[in-house]
Amino acid sequence: MSNAAAMRPGRSALPEWVRRLPEYLMIWVPLLLSAAHLISFSLWTIWISFTPSTLVPVTGWVGLRNYSAVAASRNWQIAFDNLLLFGISFVVLSAATGLVLAILLDQRIRGENVLRSIFLYPLAVSFVVTGTVWSWLLNPGLGIQKLVHDLGWSSFRFDWLIDRDMAIWTIVIAAIWQSSGFAMALFLAGLRSVDGDIVKAAQIDGAGPVRMYRRIILPSLWPITITVIVIQLQFAISTFDLVRALTNGGPGIATQLPALVVYDLMFQRSLLGRGAAAAVLMLLILLAVLLPYAAWRYHQRRRATHA
Amino acid sequence: MPITTTRRRLLAGSVATLALPAFARAQGAAKPRLTVISQWSAGSDGAAITALGKKFEEKGGVWQHSPVPGFTTEMMNKLRAQIMAGDPPACSQLKGPEIAAWSKIAPTVDLDAVVAAAGYEKVVAPDLAKLHKPGGKWIALPLQIYSTNMLFLSKRAMDKAKADKIPVTWAEFNDLAEKMKAGGVAYPVANGGTRPDDGQKFEAALAGISPLAYRAAIMNLEKKALEGPEIKAAFAQVRKIADWMDPNVGAQHFSTNLKRFIDGDMGMMIMGGWAQGVLRNAGFKLEDFTIAPGPSDNGKPVFLLNADAFIFWQRKDADLQAGQTLMAQLVMDPAIQTMYSQITGSIPVRTDVDLSGEGWSEGQRTTAKALKDAIASNQAVLSMAHNMAQENGMTAAMIDVITEYVKNKTIKPEQAATRLAEAVEGSR
Repeated sequence: MSNAAAMRPGRSALPEWVRRLPEYLMIWVPLLLSAAHLISFSLWTIWISFTPSTLVPVTGWVGLRNYSAVAASRNWQIAFDNLLLFGISFVVLSAATGLVLAILLDQRIRGENVLRSIFLYPLAVSFVVTGTVWSWLLNPGLGIQKLVHDLGWSSFRFDWLIDRDMAIWTIVIAAIWQSSGFAMALFLAGLRSVDGDIVKAAQIDGAGPVRMYRRIILPSLWPITITVIVIQLQFAISTFDLVRALTNGGPGIATQLPALVVYDLMFQRSLLGRGAAAAVLMLLILLAVLLPYAAWRYHQRRRATHA
Repeated sequence: MPITTTRRRLLAGSVATLALPAFARAQGAAKPRLTVISQWSAGSDGAAITALGKKFEEKGGVWQHSPVPGFTTEMMNKLRAQIMAGDPPACSQLKGPEIAAWSKIAPTVDLDAVVAAAGYEKVVAPDLAKLHKPGGKWIALPLQIYSTNMLFLSKRAMDKAKADKIPVTWAEFNDLAEKMKAGGVAYPVANGGTRPDDGQKFEAALAGISPLAYRAAIMNLEKKALEGPEIKAAFAQVRKIADWMDPNVGAQHFSTNLKRFIDGDMGMMIMGGWAQGVLRNAGFKLEDFTIAPGPSDNGKPVFLLNADAFIFWQRKDADLQAGQTLMAQLVMDPAIQTMYSQITGSIPVRTDVDLSGEGWSEGQRTTAKALKDAIASNQAVLSMAHNMAQENGMTAAMIDVITEYVKNKTIKPEQAATRLAEAVEGSR
């Protein structure tokens, strides 16, 4: 630092803030613009959710009527239950799948690059494509069940797509296929950053591979695990295109999710007020995930600086 | 101040130059121009509206069509945005009770004089006419009609069942389905798994059992009718239909199964007249299937109306106003309606168009005759599943109940009827 300053004496005459102006402009202008965008539309939606708007936004005040109507509707109740089931199982299973894949890939195997690309590839496919492809694979009359029947095992049943109680699991399957590669990439980066010296020390102390993973490597991965969980959770909460292509909320209304309900209310039923109320409820669910995460991050940072 | 004068002159001159063409346009007979929004961009729908545009241009007009492909809702979003920006199209696609709902958010054109001059009201089904004049004045014009409850019979499935009589009542329909099942037809009812599909099964059942009950319960939302025995009977009939359908369709479109229908693997299909166009485009022969009016227990055809229409939005520009008049005249013209329906496979709105000539199919003739007979016996009603009977919010609430019932066989008809009545109450 002092060397560089000595080499460019003319520069150091400028005040600090002037020298850093380009950096501030680069960061703050886009940040402020997108924040203003985000906040103004969120506030607008919150306002609409308290108005009697239907086809177009109108002024007026109906208090919490839109909220109570949404909360009382069967569609929303089903969507909320599905979100809990889908959110938890998807996050846990995709993180677990990603972790297993990462550990297997981390064994210094041949063709790692090829395998890694294959596992990451689904992420490059849009959710609509994933949904459509899986809707064919899982369709009992066209896909896996038919294949097995044609092979001769005619009592085989795999008809979750058309089973009201199991249909939500088809979305879990497709979502895991799509995004466990992402979890794998993060975990793999984490595995690679484990301190080699500690591993060597453990080896010298005679720790076997299972013990090494359980006691040393996995515990050091947990900040990454939290990140994976939070990213996947906010994806789960806002899932829309995948379900729309895979089941479109069906059979019947068995696989409704909050984002589908919002779209349905706003654009298919032309009930802007209720749709906005549902959207605000979704935002609250998101905050319920993100605020504890932010608090945890803050806590971590404080602990790090104090240590 | 010579400079100021020059400047002022210059300014005045340029303003005059700019204003002149507009002035001239307003003064002379304005060349008709029309801005149109619709969702019809591809297939027979796209071809039909393009042909209409050609006719508009032949009459000396400027045709500016902006198609918004995809679902109707996408088209509506564009329309909503333009209305809110104070720049609605001169004319847009819109249908059913949405015409009344949307006419409240922006001023529309009073078409009474043009309609009267064409003597149009006499030749339009009364229930349909009512939808297009919400405040007592014509503001929109229907373009083409489909029936949502036509009965399609697969020739091969009929052969398997050794049957040749077209079922007229639901009892006969059920008999034929049993015969088909016994004769080796895997699924006597062909179907898709979309929401409107399920809605169509219900409306066909209820209107076929009692058009009066359909009118009271679904069109007029009378509480007593909604709790009446006909609704339960209709749900019971829907359960029978659902048991004959292929459960594996998931959320597929009905057209996925057309080949199996033609092959006789599926027997009967309750579908809108548009299926005829789809079958024809898919290369199937007309002699492989028969089209008849949907089952009706009193023996007279029941016609569930679905009609596409254009609504006209108020504009100040003289050329757009001239364009609107020209468009209205074209849409009401029997020759134009003939051209349009022959492309899309629908039937004309006008009940006085002769369909005996070339260019019409047997299915279209059957449909047109069914409409005429249904109007005569007051059995032409508005389709719920295709958003003709109620506004979108109410329709969606009803279809929620129906689609869940079709897919969940543990719900009893009585429960479904109660839920339907509750759903209606909840969305009033």
